[in-house]
Amino acid sequence: MAHIVLDTCAGRDGGREALEAAAIASLQLDHQITVVGDESEITAALQKIAHDAERLRVAHARDRCDVDLDPREILARSPRNSVAVGLEIVARDPSAVLVSANQPGLIVFAAQQTLGRLAQVQRAALAAVYPTLRPHGPASDPFALLLDVGATVQCDAGDLVDFAAMGAAYAAKISRIDRPRVALLSNGTGVAGAPSRVREAHRRLLGGPPGFEYVGCLRADHVTTGDADVIVTDGFTGDVLLRTLEGVAATGENLIRRAAEKLQWRLGVQMLEGGIQTIREFTDWENYGGAPLLGVDRAVIVAQANSGRRAFLNAIRLGAKIDRLQVIGAVGEGVAALRDHLRAKPTDEEAAP
Amino acid sequence: MSDDQQPEPPQALQQRRFIHLRWDLDKTYLRTEFDTLKDLIATFRQKAEDKVAVAGASALLRALLDPRERTHRRVTFISGSPRQMRKVLTRKLQLDGVEPDMFILKPNLENLLRGRFRAIRGQVGYKLKALLLSHMAAEHVDEYLFGDDAEQDAFIYSVYADILAGRLDAVSLAAILTTCKVYRHDVDEIMAYHRQLFASGEVVRRIFIHLERRSPLDRFTPYGGRVVAIYNYFQGAIVLFEIGALEPRGLLAVIESMESQGYTPERLANSLQDLMRRGVMHYSTVQKLSQELAAAETTMGRPVSRFLHSFEDVVSALENIQRPGPRWETEINYLGLYHEARFRRQQHRFLGIRLLD
Repeated sequence: MAHIVLDTCAGRDGGREALEAAAIASLQLDHQITVVGDESEITAALQKIAHDAERLRVAHARDRCDVDLDPREILARSPRNSVAVGLEIVARDPSAVLVSANQPGLIVFAAQQTLGRLAQVQRAALAAVYPTLRPHGPASDPFALLLDVGATVQCDAGDLVDFAAMGAAYAAKISRIDRPRVALLSNGTGVAGAPSRVREAHRRLLGGPPGFEYVGCLRADHVTTGDADVIVTDGFTGDVLLRTLEGVAATGENLIRRAAEKLQWRLGVQMLEGGIQTIREFTDWENYGGAPLLGVDRAVIVAQANSGRRAFLNAIRLGAKIDRLQVIGAVGEGVAALRDHLRAKPTDEEAAP
Repeated sequence: MSDDQQPEPPQALQQRRFIHLRWDLDKTYLRTEFDTLKDLIATFRQKAEDKVAVAGASALLRALLDPRERTHRRVTFISGSPRQMRKVLTRKLQLDGVEPDMFILKPNLENLLRGRFRAIRGQVGYKLKALLLSHMAAEHVDEYLFGDDAEQDAFIYSVYADILAGRLDAVSLAAILTTCKVYRHDVDEIMAYHRQLFASGEVVRRIFIHLERRSPLDRFTPYGGRVVAIYNYFQGAIVLFEIGALEPRGLLAVIESMESQGYTPERLANSLQDLMRRGVMHYSTVQKLSQELAAAETTMGRPVSRFLHSFEDVVSALENIQRPGPRWETEINYLGLYHEARFRRQQHRFLGIRLLD
């Protein structure tokens, strides 16, 4: 039984939908759920919602955080905010998973302050899933993993290598892929024109890493083909890429709506409604739950700021799965194995006479 | 009516007061499914050995009917199950070590033969009549009623309590019975009981509603603090412990019984926190409970420290909450509540039951 710690101070409708998701989860899933936020507001809201109080607990967070501020400033001004209180609970309980739609910068910063890092991991990475044309693994998982999408904006080659190991270990557990195919995001299929950190990471990963298959560099236009199960990049580029993919999906949706302006087009859209709905479901980010923060020694899931009930419920399910499959431990082992492998294999400088 | 005119919740009971427990059976004491015809038939054919009590219910009842207190305690079961099930239900209670003083079952075959089809499903007329009929006219009697959220138990029990308390006069009661479409013959009988028992006293101390369907708590707010919605019988036991109707050893027996049925310390701690947040239980009770549990560990060798740790955890998560208890309503709008519930049932029938409403 997993312990899900849910931040109810963020998400759609001021966090109300997060609380509703917790109430539904308490009725439908066999997990311990702790909701974090203003206790009196939560208790008042719970009066009106069907829930199972046997599985639901409230942790009071007396401070509200101003999301427009810098994470350091938020923690200084409101030390008992919902993220900080939630992380304290997670730090105490190894089976606990934090789910929050609060400011990603705050969650990442506070997590790195409060929680321990996985051995040998320098920086954390946020891993997001996105749909691809080719399914992945024995369960035909339609999603590939992209990391980092915003936790570490500036990375060096070592960080990218760690991200590759973490992403591969995560995909191996969650999507049940024996040897995940890992690629580095680059501006070409080769590394000639790539920045030095990508070139160096590429060189290190070429040495036959344990636990996954390195398939080289991948251009952004091949990201959705499904040629790789895990795509590794720095937090800045990953965030830009993810937002671009979401923007394209939103534009497609708008175009369909605009097509309804003409009668003939509207009829056409009506005829294709079934297919459009399937694509909509496939590309709807609420179905993915949230992005796990990898690199810390506890499970933390960062949900989108405008997450609704469905997104939170899927994030809760994802959190429970991460706990059940012991994913965080596997991620730590994956990084350690790659580090050992790289240490055993002499670098070019050491090999040179 | 202003707050200072509200009747005070009953104080801790004096020793040796007579306690009359009234229990519903299906979904309150027994885990019963009768939402479909198939369930109904399966329930009817079930043997006593196959029937399962709700976790903690039999332990709580046994604790309340402790042989040391038995001379001053009485239990009446009032169930909507047909009279033909008396043998199997009595056997089930016997297996659980519970001996009812009175066991009232519904004359469904008679209702069917006499063409009183409304009475087969309807509960208001039948239960209210049974409650008034089995009321024990004794001095210093306190009643604790147990029902569930699957039917109209909170409504019926509150009407009964208000008749005894003298807050529901004959005109209002007649209006309620007419609205609830109670048969003429039953109305006459209930009105006759009303004449006898009206204003007998503030006898009903608490009405416990087992949230078998996990209904939202605000459904029971209009009934005031007398109605306590509970998710499990650990919560019921705590409330009874707080008001002095249950001994610490009884509470411990309920905890142990629930633990043996799969309840973890976390689930019980969550239940305790829920009562605290609702203002039903106070911090002083948690302290008293902790002392009693710690004493049980040292004197009786019961391993209860994990419960203590969990209880401390949930209390500390609230950061010294001080919440006033729910108000004790003196004027309940029964007709409004009846129509509201009816509207909700119709909405569910046509639109399906929504999780969030």
